[in-house]
Amino acid sequence: MKKPLLILLIFISLTIIAKAQDFEYGTFKLEDLEMKHYDKDTSAHAVVLNEYGRSRIDATSDDHIKIIYEYHVKIKIFDSKGFDHANVEVLLRDNDEDSETIENIKGITTYSDDNGSMSKTELEPGKVYKSKVDKYHTLVKFALPSIRNGCIIEYQYTTYSRYLQLFPHWDFQSDIPKMHSEYDVHIPGFWTYNASLRGSLKLTTNKAEVESGCFSAGGGKSDCSHLTFGMTDIPAFIEEDDMTSRKNFLSAVYFELAEYTNPYNGAKTKMAKEWRDVDYDLKHSEYFGSLLRKKDLFKERIIPVIAGKTDSLARAKAVYEYIQKTLKWNDFYATGSNDGLRKVLETHSGNVAEINLALAAALEAAGFNAQAVLLSTRENGFINKLYPVQEEFNYVVAKVDIGNKIYLLDATDPLLPFGILPLKCLNDQGRVMSLDKPSYWIDMNSTQQRRVRTSALDLTLQPDGKLKGTMTQYLFGYAAYEERKAIKKFNSVDEYVENLDERSPRFKILNSEISNLDSLDMPLVEKYEIEIKKYNDLYKDRLVFNPYITDHITRNPYRLQERNYPIDRGMPLTERFTLVVHLPDNYIVDTPPQDISIGLPNKGGLFETLYQASDNSFTFSHIIQFNKAIYSSEEYAYLKELFNKIILSEKAPMTLKKKS
Amino acid sequence: MKPILVFCLLFIAATVNAQQNYDASLISKDLLPYARAVVRNEQINVEVKDFDNTVCHVKEAITVLNKNGDRAARIALYYNKSITIKGVKGAIYNSFGKQIGKFSESNFEDRGTTDGFSLFEDMRVKHYEPAITDYPYTIEYEYELRYEQSLNIPGWMPNSETGIAVEKSSFNFICKPDFNIRYKEINMPTSVYISTSANTGLKTYAWQVNNLKAIKDEPFDPNPENYLSMVKIAPVKFQYEGIDGSFTNWNELGKWISDKLLKNRQAVSPATAQQVIQITSGITDPKLKAKKIYEYMQDRTRYVSVQIGIGGYQPFTAGDVDKVNYGDCKALVNYTQALLKVVGIDSYYCTVEANPSRKISFLTDFASMNQGNHIILCLPFKNDTTWCDCTSQTIPFGYLGDFTDDRNVLACTPDGGKLMHTPKYTAENNLEKRKASFEISATGDMTGEMTTTFKGTEYDDRDWVIAQSQVERLKAMQNIYPINNMNIEKLEFSQDKSLDPSTTENIKLKAPEFASTDNGRITFLLNPVHHIAVPRQVHNRVTNVYINEGYTDEDEITYTLPEGYHLDSEILHRNLDSPFGKFSATMKVEGNQLVYKRKFRLNDGTYPKDTYQDLVDFYQSIADADAHEIILVKNN
Repeated sequence: MKKPLLILLIFISLTIIAKAQDFEYGTFKLEDLEMKHYDKDTSAHAVVLNEYGRSRIDATSDDHIKIIYEYHVKIKIFDSKGFDHANVEVLLRDNDEDSETIENIKGITTYSDDNGSMSKTELEPGKVYKSKVDKYHTLVKFALPSIRNGCIIEYQYTTYSRYLQLFPHWDFQSDIPKMHSEYDVHIPGFWTYNASLRGSLKLTTNKAEVESGCFSAGGGKSDCSHLTFGMTDIPAFIEEDDMTSRKNFLSAVYFELAEYTNPYNGAKTKMAKEWRDVDYDLKHSEYFGSLLRKKDLFKERIIPVIAGKTDSLARAKAVYEYIQKTLKWNDFYATGSNDGLRKVLETHSGNVAEINLALAAALEAAGFNAQAVLLSTRENGFINKLYPVQEEFNYVVAKVDIGNKIYLLDATDPLLPFGILPLKCLNDQGRVMSLDKPSYWIDMNSTQQRRVRTSALDLTLQPDGKLKGTMTQYLFGYAAYEERKAIKKFNSVDEYVENLDERSPRFKILNSEISNLDSLDMPLVEKYEIEIKKYNDLYKDRLVFNPYITDHITRNPYRLQERNYPIDRGMPLTERFTLVVHLPDNYIVDTPPQDISIGLPNKGGLFETLYQASDNSFTFSHIIQFNKAIYSSEEYAYLKELFNKIILSEKAPMTLKKKS
Repeated sequence: MKPILVFCLLFIAATVNAQQNYDASLISKDLLPYARAVVRNEQINVEVKDFDNTVCHVKEAITVLNKNGDRAARIALYYNKSITIKGVKGAIYNSFGKQIGKFSESNFEDRGTTDGFSLFEDMRVKHYEPAITDYPYTIEYEYELRYEQSLNIPGWMPNSETGIAVEKSSFNFICKPDFNIRYKEINMPTSVYISTSANTGLKTYAWQVNNLKAIKDEPFDPNPENYLSMVKIAPVKFQYEGIDGSFTNWNELGKWISDKLLKNRQAVSPATAQQVIQITSGITDPKLKAKKIYEYMQDRTRYVSVQIGIGGYQPFTAGDVDKVNYGDCKALVNYTQALLKVVGIDSYYCTVEANPSRKISFLTDFASMNQGNHIILCLPFKNDTTWCDCTSQTIPFGYLGDFTDDRNVLACTPDGGKLMHTPKYTAENNLEKRKASFEISATGDMTGEMTTTFKGTEYDDRDWVIAQSQVERLKAMQNIYPINNMNIEKLEFSQDKSLDPSTTENIKLKAPEFASTDNGRITFLLNPVHHIAVPRQVHNRVTNVYINEGYTDEDEITYTLPEGYHLDSEILHRNLDSPFGKFSATMKVEGNQLVYKRKFRLNDGTYPKDTYQDLVDFYQSIADADAHEIILVKNN
């Protein structure tokens, strides 16, 4: 997915002098103004005509070294559905120590006025608004004036940032197509960044050259590497279900700081270039390692928790439940602690890292060898494996090995059973961090989480046309977790069952029994005695009967002609249904359902139905199975077809006939 | 002397309250059903100390019964430069009522508020949420909000949220004896108790409710005014952002808005005036003139929210909009008025409560400032009053849709305010009419064409689809029509923006394996274009049944069947007639043509709560008819 561009260290030629240049502000082509639609995507409501960005590192007049980022874009807006592109927001990091600033905001709209002649309106500086969003951010907003169908907007601004470790990345692709997009990067030799390209599109410009003597600060002078990345004719990005973060697939270039030399004193600082450096930093940090180390804080606390538990699994579960019950997640993701463990224990509240590092420490206190696992959630994107970048992680879970088994634990949700991670964590690989061993990668779904559901219906068709009998459902693994969450949305089980009963006037629940609702390690079992008003009475000679009684997949989740990124379902799934129907004496099955068996390539999954008849009753069972968590885009068509066959099968009813 | 006495009284009151027992087991069993939290004691005191100083003091104790109730324990205090927060403190109690923690303002998190894209928004919020994992628990807190105005006086709605029962809630309005108010009690079990303190001379209006059960989420529930207890208060004399005023009815309030907030804001540049005159020259009918100007305004402006200027009540000047070509609803209505004025067309600036799922009317017998959230334009042509929403670049002239139709609004004119009623779109005119011809092959594949026309409130039904790119439009259509394997070969929309507007959707499609074929039979759903959702039943319903907007669906699908097959399923013939509407579905086979006709009319209105099951059954019968399957069998 990500190709390393090791261009920063290799300069092929110094003779090419093809300077990337910003396009001229305030100019336009008459043909652009007259353009009625974009030929390469005629339905686009707007298209980027040109986009240019430039980042450089320089000493500014306030004697700080900053990243100076210039952004400049020109967008053609075809109709009012594209007007939102004229509302601009720039988010700046803003806290007490280091505030980013913005300058040179300029905007202009070019349009055909009421008489058909060309007019221009400039953005008034007084109409740029700033507001503090939270402790760490300020939002700068402006709206381009004189927006109307067919206009061209253009704006530019420059931001200044002292966060040299956060070098601006560049998205070539967005929700609207772009004709041209170019990013120009100047990096003095004092700094070394690793660049990585994401997405499936190819660069049309990719240059590297050396600029001599371009940087000087505090007596230090250096050359710069000048890199140019460009793309033309970039299509808009399209999303669909079962996709992880769009960041993974959007064409973009990212930069990570590898090392730098202080221009004032020549001191060299290696940013975490090797994992062992990161390991060392984390282990000795206040925000991470110190929490892992605090097992003494738990020694006393967990004595009553594990008292009398000799089995190590039972002991670990008790510690896990203790943390789940004692600490409440404050809804913040984090890879480190803000306030330290003492404060967390005092307030009973913490972010993801605080809670799960506390869990690891508590497990250590109980005599286990526990580790922390840094990971990136599904919406946060994949992790770069070439070199360590701490900022790419956004979540921490705990890991403990008992016997030969690995358990990954997240104590932020009281409904998660021991050893099951929330879906958002099942992304790519995580990095296992411990106090005494080097870190290493682990597959986030290495514990083979699955959704498993088994349903059984045993129904009797009564002379009054009603189907009466039992419905039993067993839910395992992640399916049980999801169902528990749904049940717990109600104030009591009775209210949940009442809601089920209220869902359809055809479907009545006469009795219910839900077991293991709070025993998270056990399968969740729901048993219902039900009555379904199927037919108004039984006088007809022929009855249409659809054996898919409770669950229907009515829409294919995959509807694109093709898809060029993988289908990530998070985890495998198995669903089995068995329906037994006892018929009245005077009816027999006329046309039974056709047995179906369809599989995905390489045993990736299947859909099968099976019909068996006996005296006055029949059994219809079917199974849906997806054995993989992630399918490649080549497998898309097969998945689509599998869903198609399920839907078709659900549409083909059987018929019953009165005995003559 | 006096202030000290007040202090003492408050102090005593606080001490008495502190002794309340928050043991969760003391909550009456009657209050537990459907409750995720119970308000144990809520005491809201609103005092107008001066025209520019209104203080709202809130003291509240809530017991959270389970994790779902955590939300009820959240405290969010909104403020800006003219609202200040004071005296925030609180404590947390465990299930036995034993105090386990305390908090103060320093534990609150401060954030900006954003709702969509707004260029400027000065409102901020302080936020606190306790971290308790043992249920039940109780949070008790108090705070004070000071407003530098006396126009908008906080009202009271003790159980506004579903899932929250109320043990006790009281509301006091306190003012000097010469500060006159009007109040409106809605669904209140008991009326106000008015007293005057002998010590302070202050007048108090007091209300209280006890033991309100938690309200349930009920589909088709009516407006809260229909069944929930509430009190609204309006001043007679007031001050707002330094502007004085007084009103006792809509006429006076409308006059104040017009004089103080709108006056002298409609000057446009000579060039624009010239432009307006030019584009309307040659048009004599004032309505067509207004249409032309409205479309001119649409072409050169767009909606951008800017919450600035006299508390968000005063529009940008027309001159400003003329320059930047954007504005919020106030600014765009004011601007359109200014343009109309150039050619001598009179119009009204109208405040309205915009809501597409509920028609909320301004109260005829109670005038107050905050009954609306949106501004629309009224053109009072003789016998042809016309209404426009100025915030969209695409909707037709004279079209309101379900966003603001059929409700009381306040027209603010220099002659005073008056309540007017926006036009109603009738169930007959809210039409979705479809004609389709589908051809089914022996292999179950379908090819076809389908044209649908949308009118009335349905006119803008497809606007969200039209707003997207073609790829997204195709995805959207696959979501709208439950046709399996639908491949759209052509998708076109056209919109007629005349005075009787309509949207037309044209689809050419292919659906391989539309019908399933097994055992030599071809099976397909007769109605593949509608998927009607049967509403959930509600046992022991509390609220009346409210259908916000009526509509009519008319479909005619002609199927061409494959040669050599005959029908092997029942002929569908269904006619339903209920107070909620009518439904009919019929089919006819002639040669290889099967013609299916479906008509569904839903009537808007409010119906008694005990008729709700009939509505569910009506929908279920429709869903059953829609699920009718066609089975074709090969001729022998």
